[in-house]
Amino acid sequence: MNDPLSKQASASDVARAVMSGKVKATAVVEAALTRIETSEPAINAFTDVVGDRARRRAAEIDSGRHRGPLVGVPFAVKNLFDIKGLPTRAGSKINLDGPIAARDASLVRKLEAAGAILVGGLNMGEYAYDFTGENAHYGASCNPRDTTRMTGGSSGGSGAAVAAGEVPLALGSDTNGSIRVPASLCGVFGLKPTYGRLSRAGSYPFVDAFDHLGPLARSVEDLALAFDAMQGWDPDDPVCTDRDAEPTLPELGEGIGGLRIAVAGDYFERGADSVAHDAVERVAKALRATKRIVIPEAAAARSAAYVITAIEGSQLHLPRLRTRPQDFDPDTRERFMAGALLPGAWYVKAQRFRRRYRAAVQKLFEEVDVILAPATPCTAPRLGQVMMKLGGVEMPVRAHLGLYTQPISFVGLPVVVAPLQKPDGLPIGVQIIANHYKEAAALRVARHLEKEGVASAPAE
Amino acid sequence: MPVQKPDIGRLVDEQAKAIGLPIAPQYRDKVILNYQRSLAIAQPLLDVELDDALTPGPVFRP
Repeated sequence: MNDPLSKQASASDVARAVMSGKVKATAVVEAALTRIETSEPAINAFTDVVGDRARRRAAEIDSGRHRGPLVGVPFAVKNLFDIKGLPTRAGSKINLDGPIAARDASLVRKLEAAGAILVGGLNMGEYAYDFTGENAHYGASCNPRDTTRMTGGSSGGSGAAVAAGEVPLALGSDTNGSIRVPASLCGVFGLKPTYGRLSRAGSYPFVDAFDHLGPLARSVEDLALAFDAMQGWDPDDPVCTDRDAEPTLPELGEGIGGLRIAVAGDYFERGADSVAHDAVERVAKALRATKRIVIPEAAAARSAAYVITAIEGSQLHLPRLRTRPQDFDPDTRERFMAGALLPGAWYVKAQRFRRRYRAAVQKLFEEVDVILAPATPCTAPRLGQVMMKLGGVEMPVRAHLGLYTQPISFVGLPVVVAPLQKPDGLPIGVQIIANHYKEAAALRVARHLEKEGVASAPAE
Repeated sequence: MPVQKPDIGRLVDEQAKAIGLPIAPQYRDKVILNYQRSLAIAQPLLDVELDDALTPGPVFRP
């Protein structure tokens, strides 16, 4: 077990220490606030630190008023989650003029009900239309492994805060890859659950058809702890499932026995740096996964996800594009404007295609339980980098970091990103994809890789 | 008959007028560039053929 006051401590390290009385929650919070103060000049992961609130909450825990599986665990949330008393920035300048949140987002309340302590709001790409972690208003979040490089986005602050050890647990959102891309580039574990599995109430929307929320953490156990604490129906999110909560933590130790695991071929084997494919091969070898399967029409799925995102996201912001274009981030403004002009017929076709693709993907899960694929086509690009070469072809960084994540979230499959570290290099993640509502299977595979020493959070 | 390439600049100008979205001259070139990129990225979807019976579900369930 790591020292619960250190930056290497996982959420479960902290919770166990607080629960057993080895350490006070107030000491844990003070240590986290000190780490944030020390790291922020280089990392820029936080836009809001709620120190007074966190200290009050920790004092209540120490007086025995709250218990739970995450007792005393400091956490932070992407700033599209409502935090009572603050404007919900969603990475924008415009929203600072909007309403002050009257209550915390649903998932913040659920984590606090499990004993965790909110310490702040995290930097993100404007309105979540981003894969880089850059932001013209608040500055880029910087990759803790190399601060001249991108964190990935749009949950860039979430990836950076966990990778830098500022907090052991963060929440992000993922519409097309915004948890999975920063988890890969920053080298931490991330979980994008099944669409509709966790409530989005009290979070600022981007694309209703694809918006998911989920945790980033230093260990698989922490993902499971947080996911289990956040499950459950919520009438405030019309998409939220009314299925009973199915705890994943008890299944974590079951290993990979009985799971049929395959590597995604074809589309997912093209157009990436060799480092991304090598990572998948390393994971497949550790899992003894020799089968290859083809997810049919993945290129069209990525294309359809792009179209739905551009049209839904742009429609949401159209009133502000008309009246306050100068207040948008220059990296999102013209993309939103172009999206607002795309033909409606494309949108309907994309939604019709989605039904066919979903059926084809469901069929694959008759043959396999888990599919492996790269999370990103490369390691972290340099901050400000506009173009990159993939498979010999020059392409824009911003649109293509989500090449392998978009066809998966398009039909709401649950995914765990397992990070692979390189002692003298940059980390990269692998997607562990399961069938709808089978988060436990993806978590079991990730836990096995963690136990085998293949996947891990940064050591330092 | 060969398909004619659209004039994206004109399309952007006219469509923006139709939906009441003013595009200032300093933004116009990047809007056109992004529209062109969208056309390229959308192509695999546009190439797909769908049965008439395939309707989008009114409520998406994963």
